[in-house]
Amino acid sequence: MEIEITAEEREAIKTTVAEALEKNSYRRDRLLPILQEVQGRLGYLPREAMEQIASSLKIPEVDVYSVATFYNQFRLNPPGEHQIKVCMGTACHMAGGHIIMDSFARRLNIKEGETTPDRKFSLERVACVGCCALAPVVVVNENVEGKVRPTRVDGILMALGKEIGKKNEEEKR
Amino acid sequence: MSAVLERYEALKRQAEQTLTARLEKPRVLVGTATCGRAAGALKVLEVFREGVAQHGLDVEVEEVGCLGYCYAEPTVIIYKPGFPPLCYMNVDEGIASRLVTDYLVGGDPCFDFAYAALEPNDVFPTLADYPRGFSEQRIILADCGLINPEDINQYLQRDGYRALAKALSMAPEEIIGEIKASGLRGRGGAGFPTGVKWEICRSKEADEKYVICNADEGDPGAFMDRALLESTPHQLLEGLIIAGYAVGAKQGYIYVRAEYPLAIERLKTALAQAREKGLLGENILGSGFSFAIDLFQGSGAFVCGEETALIASMEGRAGIPSHRPPFPAEKGFRGKPTVINNVKTLSYVPHIIRNGAEWFRSIGTPSSPGTAVLALAGKVVGTGLVEVPMGTTLRTLIYDVGGGIKNDKAFKAVQIGGPSGGCLPESALDLPIDFDSLQQAGAMMGSGGVVVLDEDDCMVEIARYFLEFTQKESCGKCTFCRLGTRQMLEILTDITKGRGKLEDIDLLQEIAEDVKAGSLCGLGKTAPNPVLTTLRFFRHEYEIHVKEGRCPALMCKDLISYVIDPKKCRKLCDACVGSCPVEAVYTRPDQLKAIDLEKCVKCDNCLVTCLPLYQAVIKVSPPLKVEGGQDK
Amino acid sequence: MSRQVTITIDGQQVTAAEGDKLLWVALDHGIYIPHLCGIREKEHPDASCRLCFVEVEGLPNPVTSCTLPVKEGMVVRTRSERVDRLVRTAFELLLSNHRLSCAKCGKNGRCELQKIAQERGLKLKLTRMRSLLVEKPVDDSPEKFYYDPNRCVLCGRCVWADREKAKIGAIGFVRRGMDRRVAAFWEQPLADSPCIECLACVEACPVGALVAKEMKE
Repeated sequence: MEIEITAEEREAIKTTVAEALEKNSYRRDRLLPILQEVQGRLGYLPREAMEQIASSLKIPEVDVYSVATFYNQFRLNPPGEHQIKVCMGTACHMAGGHIIMDSFARRLNIKEGETTPDRKFSLERVACVGCCALAPVVVVNENVEGKVRPTRVDGILMALGKEIGKKNEEEKR
Repeated sequence: MSAVLERYEALKRQAEQTLTARLEKPRVLVGTATCGRAAGALKVLEVFREGVAQHGLDVEVEEVGCLGYCYAEPTVIIYKPGFPPLCYMNVDEGIASRLVTDYLVGGDPCFDFAYAALEPNDVFPTLADYPRGFSEQRIILADCGLINPEDINQYLQRDGYRALAKALSMAPEEIIGEIKASGLRGRGGAGFPTGVKWEICRSKEADEKYVICNADEGDPGAFMDRALLESTPHQLLEGLIIAGYAVGAKQGYIYVRAEYPLAIERLKTALAQAREKGLLGENILGSGFSFAIDLFQGSGAFVCGEETALIASMEGRAGIPSHRPPFPAEKGFRGKPTVINNVKTLSYVPHIIRNGAEWFRSIGTPSSPGTAVLALAGKVVGTGLVEVPMGTTLRTLIYDVGGGIKNDKAFKAVQIGGPSGGCLPESALDLPIDFDSLQQAGAMMGSGGVVVLDEDDCMVEIARYFLEFTQKESCGKCTFCRLGTRQMLEILTDITKGRGKLEDIDLLQEIAEDVKAGSLCGLGKTAPNPVLTTLRFFRHEYEIHVKEGRCPALMCKDLISYVIDPKKCRKLCDACVGSCPVEAVYTRPDQLKAIDLEKCVKCDNCLVTCLPLYQAVIKVSPPLKVEGGQDK
Repeated sequence: MSRQVTITIDGQQVTAAEGDKLLWVALDHGIYIPHLCGIREKEHPDASCRLCFVEVEGLPNPVTSCTLPVKEGMVVRTRSERVDRLVRTAFELLLSNHRLSCAKCGKNGRCELQKIAQERGLKLKLTRMRSLLVEKPVDDSPEKFYYDPNRCVLCGRCVWADREKAKIGAIGFVRRGMDRRVAAFWEQPLADSPCIECLACVEACPVGALVAKEMKE
């Protein structure tokens, strides 16, 4: 799970964190907004960012890690280029949300919560996006797709540039 | 008239003047809340905007919130002099361009596409002429979908913020007395009397006090808070400011889910507008009372709906509940007295202040006055957001408001209250919807999510689903919730996979009762409800799974097989073959199709694809144990 | 100075300072109530282990004694059918996620779980529950002690000792739900954390999760 980061990225992390801290007046009780800001700009919470936040706020590093690992929103790894979030709210589940999840997982060959090795797609579950009347719902890069049938899964992925046919042939070989 | 009220009247007049010119023109309102957008409302909006520009029309095209008719999104309302305002549903781009050419340019209101008029008239039925509109009584949803949430003037024009002006001319104790007399109970789930909470907070000596609006809607199947925030944010702000004044707080917060970006955006706009009008900030309406509101974004943890966990998270820690007492109203955020109220609860406040406690008490039941705002979802025709008087029966809700069960299927159960609620059977349909009746039946008002289940829904699976949710969302602090919900989930999973034993059902019941009695916080104490209610009302379904290895609703994947009925399959159709992602569907020598059970991943594709005319793909349970093709 | 009050626990009259938590009053008078997470010095108890239930006259349901301030005239029973049932279930739940090989445990004979089992006649093996234990690696990196997360009951006493006694901040609770555990930053070995091996946490641990090395064979 350790990620290599370049000197350039290290610098970007440093500035981002410094700005997020500044914006929140270096307040310990603003830890969530600080982490949200950092993740909003970097896409995830790098280890270096958490270390820097802890030392600036003068709190144990593990306290930052504790918060970062508690909430669903935070991720410790960079996300895929395209994020697919399958709604697992009650209405979506009963309308076959799990079948949609399985279909994406099968096509992308990853499990829920994972990112494809080429970092193109990540697959996540969301508790409920509040569009229950359109169940089952999938959020594709912030766009809500309603009434998704399993047969639409390939279409959604192809629209994002995934080559479905080719992949199958590869698998066959 | 007091100086505060005079200021208010001036603001209102100003708003009316700003709006008059616009409101006389034809207007098109497009519902662009999240659910509308998911159904394509932004494209519809674009068609209207382009059409108006193209034809050079003097027509206002505005974005509004959610009317609550989610099943019929996108919805459009057109005001045009000469006709009553008309509401159109299921509007696609084609209908939108017809409405531009035929109605906006021409004079034909296209009654074919219209659903209802918003005002009584001689030509077209109104919403109240339908069973749904007739059964509903809207208080806090009344403005939803009718006003532009990003325009404070429209709220002011409808007497918005009048209650604030009135409240600021009253003594705080008087306001608390009014809220207490109204009998308003917290809409967040437990139904604690709001006035009492405020009174406790008011009575505490402290240099700082806080009011927090809990908009961390995490119940998977409830979306009324989102709809309220996206549709009428000023109503909430008004309630929150009044709450602040009543308890003696100078600072308020809205704790809102980060997963609701549109709600956050609209709230920010509303806050800026309220500040600009002097309705928020220093010396509100010249009353001498100052109040600030900040947004706090939750990071996605269902347990943060619990007050003590919400506070922990606002203080920069993991959202882990702590033992009460002390209650937040005594010792809450930053150790100061803090009132935490749900979005809906606060949204009622302006109405109660404006119309009086008596009026509020005249709606609903004696122990649960007012209305219930419910998110109706599942196998019901009219899914959406509804507001009915407390005491309305589940039957009225499902059959009149909801229009009955989809696709002529048989009703099986209604799940009310989400992960803390329960599943009630047909025999409970005449139960009135109010805090106490639901609790007695083993369910709960919760946040008001209602999911209707039909014969195709498996009750063991729904219990397993909710336990999976609470188990994932358990903070892990206390033994019962962390490990008890997991033990229950393991048992339920075994049963849905056909590995359950008969004694597991009793063990499940025992653990569920103990988790309910022994957990630290509300999440753990209510997590067993879906299990306990399904065990109570649908125990036979559990037993069929265990004894016969069969899922009567054909839902549990491990207990079913997909097969193609050769009598219904047609030789010339290949739809199912192409739909299969794993090449499990094959063509037999006689040109009919069949499924290779070893390859089949039960993805449902073939069943969906098979033409309704044939319906040749069927599910059977218990699963077939045939090697190779189904027909061998 | 707080007022002295007289209360009755299992028929025995005891005096205590008003407002003291019942758990400690009972223990001070030689009346045993099972407990793991309780810390006497802590003003606001965690109340997370859910083992110290008692019946109090006038209250409808069993309550945790670690959170209950004593009041004049309070009548308490440490045992009842309901209390015993809750304690048994909580205890078995803890065991269902605990490495059950006492003979190989460094705390064998000094373990609070063993004490509870003995006092309440409970078995130290799984009878009803499914085993939920997913073996996690033992952290053997510190010189003076080792950390076996498979024996941890998440009582939080080590975290408290690390913060309040040692004033270090090397360990804390991380993750959520079933994944909740005591760990250092980034879940790295304790030797790479700010831990100074003062053994305050080891002393605080009621079970075989944090064990001093000289105790090991």
